[in-house]
Amino acid sequence: MESLQYLAQGLSVALEPLNIMFAFFGCLAGTLVGVLPGIGPISGVALLIPVAAMATSSLPMEQAATASIILLAGVYYGAMYGGSTTAILINTPGENSSVCTTLDGYQMAKQGRAGAALAICAIGSFVAGIIACVGLIFLAVPLAEFALKFSPAGQFSLMILGLCALSSLAGKSVIKAFIMTTFGLILSTVGVDPISGVARMTFNYSELYGGIEFLTLAVGMFALGEVFKTILTNDYIEGEAIKVGSIMPTKKDLKDSAMPILRGSLLGFFQGLIPGCGATLSSFMVYTFEKKISKNKANFGKGAIEGVAAPEAGNNGASGGAMIPLLTLGIPGTGTTAVLMGALVMFNITPGPLLFQDHPQVAWGLIASMLVGNFMLLVLNLPLVKVFAKVIETPPKYLIPGIVAISVFGVYAVQGSVFNLFLMIVSGVAAYYLAKNDYPIAPVVLSLILGPMIENNLRRAMNLYNGDYTMFVKDPISLVFLIIAFLWVAVPQIMKLRGKTVVVEEG
Amino acid sequence: MIKTFDRYASVAFFVIGVAVFMYIRSIEISTAGSSIGPKELPTFLSVILIILSAANLFVSIKNQKPAKQEKLEYKKFLIVLVSLVLYAVLIEPLGYVISTFLFLMVGFQTMEKGEYLKSALIAAAFAGGIYYLYVEVALGVLPPLPF
Repeated sequence: MESLQYLAQGLSVALEPLNIMFAFFGCLAGTLVGVLPGIGPISGVALLIPVAAMATSSLPMEQAATASIILLAGVYYGAMYGGSTTAILINTPGENSSVCTTLDGYQMAKQGRAGAALAICAIGSFVAGIIACVGLIFLAVPLAEFALKFSPAGQFSLMILGLCALSSLAGKSVIKAFIMTTFGLILSTVGVDPISGVARMTFNYSELYGGIEFLTLAVGMFALGEVFKTILTNDYIEGEAIKVGSIMPTKKDLKDSAMPILRGSLLGFFQGLIPGCGATLSSFMVYTFEKKISKNKANFGKGAIEGVAAPEAGNNGASGGAMIPLLTLGIPGTGTTAVLMGALVMFNITPGPLLFQDHPQVAWGLIASMLVGNFMLLVLNLPLVKVFAKVIETPPKYLIPGIVAISVFGVYAVQGSVFNLFLMIVSGVAAYYLAKNDYPIAPVVLSLILGPMIENNLRRAMNLYNGDYTMFVKDPISLVFLIIAFLWVAVPQIMKLRGKTVVVEEG
Repeated sequence: MIKTFDRYASVAFFVIGVAVFMYIRSIEISTAGSSIGPKELPTFLSVILIILSAANLFVSIKNQKPAKQEKLEYKKFLIVLVSLVLYAVLIEPLGYVISTFLFLMVGFQTMEKGEYLKSALIAAAFAGGIYYLYVEVALGVLPPLPF
């Protein structure tokens, strides 16, 4: 019941006119990000951080943080809605987690049922979003309270677990993923050490004293990296969008998709809780699961409505579920939540168990705004789907240079230095070549954010235990985390060695 | 053609690991009073990076796979990259509006030739619009016009 009280408070925050406006703008921008080719949820969120910072610059810190995070979260789950539109209408997923939707969605569109497919997508996404919100409301406080009991050793090991979880599923080669994780951690140690005041690896660049800026790296690696890839591979979306037609699903459509949506939402939500299992992975798993238990397996891939409903519910459930470890434990499980965490840290708000005590306004305002945002998306998406279908036709000629210019504006406006622009360009080029050769990018950004916290907890723990490293295995909670972390890395490797295929999260 | 990127990348990460290790060792600071100072974690990480990149080098030499043949648009990419670097260099001397306009014009025309007037209008609207919104409305700071 306590949770409902908090939720009521959160709703009063989320329903402030300014925050409603931000949620609306975030959802709209997110849907566009989802629809537009060449820009995914991660780069969308990264690009909108400066916009959010700019729009809230005159507000007090906590209010600014609440409004900004409401906007950015809106972009995140809005993109999940938008990505399915392109998947259905032109057989090209707007972002990775809609890959499964193309399988049956495009077939439905070819049969003249595009409108029904889009409507089921929107309904599935909505149900999943709401279920994830309810889960968040009831799980957040107990989890945060439990996490408060962790010793510094436990917190340290929990972060190691988060890093291992993301890295072990982040790419085809676990060695490459860990190289990227370690490299990111090393990057996070650049700058003046806050405890001893020693400058580490700053090479007398004053811009580096504060450390490598997360925003610069995120925009460079995700937004520019993606743009470079699009230019180099000439990977533009072509082909006419199929006409939408009536968006009213038939009674049979609704009946056929009700259970798949429910199953997909729940499955997706629980997968989202697990760090490293992002929306892409869970939409695949949900689709496979639905196909396995379905009575008309033969229909899958030929325009089965279940094949559209389930993965869309799955990816939205997962993206909502992924907010739980982020908010309660301070462990972002996916690339996009890592960027959201970076944004919170920029506003001097550290996600984690203390968030619900220290900044209830931010935490509950965000949760309540997700409820509001999901309603908005449903209302926004069904009638406007034809408008969004037009957006797909934005010519890449103007879109691609535009994204680059927005990246430059974002980084320059927030950091105010040409040095950061060069850092952004270098990391963009590096990200393109690394990602192309299966070196995953998300672990670098995640490590850059978690790095300072890991070092802090390590030092606090070592001072507490007089430099006794064995405390990490003597503390029971810490030991459990370390064992899980080890298994997380080892089990997929053993499965690979035994010839099983391991699905990995990309992007 | 053999896929060589993995080897170059492994060597690069190996060198970074060694460089960080040596650099951190050269920092002089007394860690009296606390059991762990600013040097321990970076040192540990650099050793891990060295080990991992050595392992990656070993794996990449062991399974040599032929690289996928791809037709890549290097010309377009290089033009965009060079104009982006020039954009960063010129943003302060020329001001935000002019440098952004120039970059967008070059970018639009590189992507696809033609529609000069439309390109110029879009580029001008973007550069002017952002500058107006950010500097006049939101009171942020961007490099002003040089005159």
